[in-house]
Amino acid sequence: MKPLAAFSRQLAEKNRRFTIALLAPMILFAAAGAQNVPVALQGGKLLTVSHGVIENGVLVMQNGKITAVGGAGTAIPAGAQVVDVSGMTVYPGLIDSETSLGLTEISLEPSTNDLLEPSENIMPNMDVADAFHAESALIPVTRMNGITNAVVAPASGDTLPGQDAFIQLAGKSAPQMLLVRDLAMPLNFTGEQRRSEGDSRKFPSTRMGVAAELRQALIEAQEYAQKWARYQRKKAQAATAKPAAKKSKGGDDDDDAPEPPKRDLRLEAMQPYLRGEKPVVLAVNEANDLETAVRVANEFHLKFVLNHLSHTQAVLDEVARLHVPVIVGPIYDEPRADERYDTVYRLPAELHQRGVKIAFASYDAHNARNLPYAAGYAVAWGLPYEAALRAVTLDAAEIWGMGDRLGSLDLGKDANVAVANGDPLDVKTDVKRVFIQGEEIPMRSRQTGLRDEYMK
Amino acid sequence: MRSGRKCRTILAALALLLARLAVAQSTPAVHNEVLIKNAVIMTASHGTIANGSVYIKDGKIAAVGENVTAPATATVLDVGGRYLTPGLIDSHSHSALGDDINEATSPVTPHMRMLDAFDYRAKDIYRSLAGGVTTSLLLHGSANMIGGQAIVIKHKYGESRDDMLFPGAPRSIKFASGENPKRTYGGRHQLPSTRMGNFAVQRAALVEAQDYMRDWDAYNEKVKVGKDAKPPKRDLKLEALADVLRGKFLVQIHCYRADELLNEMAMAKEFGYKVRAFHHALEAYKVADELAAQGVAIATFSDWWGYKQEAWDAIPWNAVLSLRKGVRVAIKSDSDNFARRLNQEAAKTVRYGGATEEEALRMITLNPAWIIGVEDRVGSIDVGKDADLVIWEGQPLSSYGVPDKVLIDGEVYFDRSLPGYGMPRYKEGQ
Repeated sequence: MKPLAAFSRQLAEKNRRFTIALLAPMILFAAAGAQNVPVALQGGKLLTVSHGVIENGVLVMQNGKITAVGGAGTAIPAGAQVVDVSGMTVYPGLIDSETSLGLTEISLEPSTNDLLEPSENIMPNMDVADAFHAESALIPVTRMNGITNAVVAPASGDTLPGQDAFIQLAGKSAPQMLLVRDLAMPLNFTGEQRRSEGDSRKFPSTRMGVAAELRQALIEAQEYAQKWARYQRKKAQAATAKPAAKKSKGGDDDDDAPEPPKRDLRLEAMQPYLRGEKPVVLAVNEANDLETAVRVANEFHLKFVLNHLSHTQAVLDEVARLHVPVIVGPIYDEPRADERYDTVYRLPAELHQRGVKIAFASYDAHNARNLPYAAGYAVAWGLPYEAALRAVTLDAAEIWGMGDRLGSLDLGKDANVAVANGDPLDVKTDVKRVFIQGEEIPMRSRQTGLRDEYMK
Repeated sequence: MRSGRKCRTILAALALLLARLAVAQSTPAVHNEVLIKNAVIMTASHGTIANGSVYIKDGKIAAVGENVTAPATATVLDVGGRYLTPGLIDSHSHSALGDDINEATSPVTPHMRMLDAFDYRAKDIYRSLAGGVTTSLLLHGSANMIGGQAIVIKHKYGESRDDMLFPGAPRSIKFASGENPKRTYGGRHQLPSTRMGNFAVQRAALVEAQDYMRDWDAYNEKVKVGKDAKPPKRDLKLEALADVLRGKFLVQIHCYRADELLNEMAMAKEFGYKVRAFHHALEAYKVADELAAQGVAIATFSDWWGYKQEAWDAIPWNAVLSLRKGVRVAIKSDSDNFARRLNQEAAKTVRYGGATEEEALRMITLNPAWIIGVEDRVGSIDVGKDADLVIWEGQPLSSYGVPDKVLIDGEVYFDRSLPGYGMPRYKEGQ
């Protein structure tokens, strides 16, 4: 037990820190609302992603949307703020397909973490949107590197740890930043879900245990849906029968009205996924786990996206035949002892070659800013550059159902735009400006504050 | 005098012959004479040669420049305009130590020797070699205030254990401070559980070592003048610490916070030893002037932060801010994973703070070589140095640079064009 004084001191220290973190975005968006004055970025190299590269181009943003994209002759509206970006590269804000942004501040300090409910293995009612901390100091650090949107997921320690959210990395409050609550439901088969660690072995401690537990939960959710459907049916029947009953009895008591089933938030949360309205995200590393995960998902007709696949080289042709997208961030995962050193590095290229749509993820919060370098490194290992760029922009947006709003420099899309002094996927490139919904983000973070203070 | 020199010459020749024989036994039919030509040579010491050659003889760099002549007997390696850099050097690694990184049963364990844990067959060594690393300092972990004695290896994967040790490298010892010791022992309700506990433990151990050293000095003095004397009892722990006090170790200290960097330097001054480098040193930018004045280097991360409280003030500009204040800066891995692409990590210093590419390259070659104490042997492409070289596909200081071939002592130890592991000198199950 910590002495109380020490604890309260720690708390005060943290409050101070969070207050500082809080101030930056507050100042930014004090005057938030629609961006009224049009902004024109002139003279840059536009990586549109959807329709090639435009040298010496013009991009206009107004009311939070992209309102013009084109060559040097593109009309700039009167009264626009014109920004000279000649020599710069202009590209859509990057999308990180899995992070823990807003769920952690300092990894080893438990009081700053809301990453996972480890008490049970099936927790579909845990919604990261309920924990998302809009004022996290990590968010300005990340967006300064051109990342404007991200999937926020619970940690992977449970088979079903909760539901993901889709955020934009600016806004004055959590609701402004959470573009989609309940975006997707992760289903993890990566090993740490097997409760075989420690003194007391708990169920499930094997692969068959993990699968059985999940199946049972999905069946309960199906039965729950049937129970409610039955209730709705009876209720409707009672409603049509009612006028007659009323007349004969002359009373108005509801004795014949059916009793609604007891609500169960766990089972309720799974319904949109059982109906195939939203995707589950199947995380697996090994070929055998992949087969199990896909089998369970197919038994329940779930719509799915694959995640990780780090050591599945032997079955990539089968993966391609599933015709589902794959999140392949972990190109930095180390190979198995019997794998060649570049086995995992080459995974994005191998999948792309087989026609699989891929997206990159950092699987991180503090290091989410390094997302573009993972995509760049995949290029070094054989992924075509255009595919790498799409995997952190348009393809990612499409996988998450945001393709009409994000991921390319196209008319009508959200004005989430980054400006850098070179290739956005190169580790040496410095990001100079970032716009989110047309608002320019000041290039300030807790870290630039420290830098400036000690540079004096 | 003359005969003495002659004798030494004969001995040297004999030693050379024996060494040759040994080489011939382990690596048959290798004639170590290579000319690498058509390379963009980033020397790390004296700029970049846009189209140059390196002539390697007997494992050493014999010539480097735009016009290099080599005997017709030399194997020619035309690299067709690819980049050539010195082999990368990782000044903070725990590779090939398995689970034997921390002897976390006492906060003072200077008698631990990492050589006793070194698993020279571990694949970590191969994977970082494939990332261009040719030399690493394998350190004890940071659970203890005073950890153990490091080893320096060359990544000659496929060779015997002793052939992988860097010959004649100075001895390094690992100290630590801050959260890790206090978490390790505080978690068990033992001393130390606070930073004052940390430093008290360290100081007490050094005081004990002073006494031990005095006893032995007195004994040796007596023996020297022919007096009858009883030798003090040997204690491996205090013997190692006495060697710290005698300046026989390069002292490598794991340390994060600015106040602790200052405390550790004050402690070194109090006991008369020198700190070679602070490792991690994420707040070095706050006390860079003091570090520069003491000639203490840092081995830091490019941009890791926030993983614990003492990493909360880490900023990616740390390396370059410290460099500009005159601190010798290395970027290290502290990770089997990051050791596979140190070049990318170093390149981040170009983006954060505007290091030149040569400065960035030095952070993973010449500067870590100095930290390890082998800067006169490796770390740059200069005549007389070991021919530890990396031929790159793509620009090394970018997202796109990956090693094509890696040479150590003039021999190719990694070649990506080969099937299987890409290892000309390694066989599975060997």
